[in-house]
Amino acid sequence: MKKRNITLGVAVGLSVMISGCASTPPENAMVTEARASYAKIKNDPDVARSGNRQLRNARDELQRAEYLLEEGKDTVRIEHAAYLANRHAEIANEQGQRARLQKQIDSAEERRRVLMLEQRSSEAQRAQMEAEQARREAEMLRKQMEELQAERTDRGMVLTLGDVLFDLNKADLKASGEQTIARLTQFMKEYEERRVRVEGYTDSTGDESYNQQLSERRAQAVRDELVAQGIDRRRVEVRGFGEQYPVASNDTDLGRQQNRRVEIVISDKDGNIETRGN
Amino acid sequence: MIKHKSKLYTAGIAGIALTLSGCASPGKPPTAELQSAENSLQQAVAADAREFEPILLNDAQNKVADAKKMIDQEKYTQAERLLEQAEVDAQLAAARADTAKAKQAVEEINRNIESMRKQINQSQ
Repeated sequence: MKKRNITLGVAVGLSVMISGCASTPPENAMVTEARASYAKIKNDPDVARSGNRQLRNARDELQRAEYLLEEGKDTVRIEHAAYLANRHAEIANEQGQRARLQKQIDSAEERRRVLMLEQRSSEAQRAQMEAEQARREAEMLRKQMEELQAERTDRGMVLTLGDVLFDLNKADLKASGEQTIARLTQFMKEYEERRVRVEGYTDSTGDESYNQQLSERRAQAVRDELVAQGIDRRRVEVRGFGEQYPVASNDTDLGRQQNRRVEIVISDKDGNIETRGN
Repeated sequence: MIKHKSKLYTAGIAGIALTLSGCASPGKPPTAELQSAENSLQQAVAADAREFEPILLNDAQNKVADAKKMIDQEKYTQAERLLEQAEVDAQLAAARADTAKAKQAVEEINRNIESMRKQINQSQ
């Protein structure tokens, strides 16, 4: 008894459900499609940001299509509204996608800006490396000059050759002197932009004009040797200073020996040589 | 409330349409719709839709051409529908062209970044 009642109840329920189903409006494929297109994008934040007008149009046309469908209106009109709804949804979707791409472009441009800064700083690094290279070359030059026992003075680098070059009162280079000049030649061949000035000095023993001439002849002898070893004559200036500019006292043997000398003044890398103040 | 209002609105339109179709009179030619569709076509062409979306653009142009013939035949309601469709077709063509161009821009800038990165790595 009880069981039959239940069966009856179920049957009534089912028939209500069935009749409920029968009262729902018929489906239309284009409306279904428009509904799906709209549902896909209605919660997309990018669409909301940049395709909002089209999204609203899609919603309005979809509602119109649903209404026409519900009311059982002409299929042409239903599908027209569905067509418009679908298109508006597609346009909104494109606009949202476009907005996403724009974000990518913006962030890529930011990355590019950072890279450009990096590139610029790596160029600065290269310039720094070049400066470093120049500094090393200058350092090498300094070392080589040191080997020649040159000194840095206010006239530039000055190489002092003691009286080992010449015999007393003579202006001919001694054999050992030639070897010293050979080292200078080597240096000048390596640094072709450099010029030298050969300056002769004497002690104060003897006649002043004789000493002047002697200092000049000795300077010329050094130049002749440099030229003989292959240095262009134009790169070598000569100057005799006689008794001037003593570096030590002329009252002692040791002092006089120091005053009898040849100084080689080396130019800067543009070939300029500071002149000795007279 | 809004939904209700818009339903009323669409119902109104439907009512008018029914009245129109009920009458023998063909109603007014859809001049504003024609103007609007042609504007959208121009914008689509300006957005390079001919290059990126030639088929959709052609569809839209054909719909406008067909609509013009219908206007001549005083089939205004059908013409209006075609024009409304042509307009959204053209807008979609323009939107797709814009998206395609944005994609190309993304690829180009990424290539650009890649070559800059290589250059930097080489110089280090």
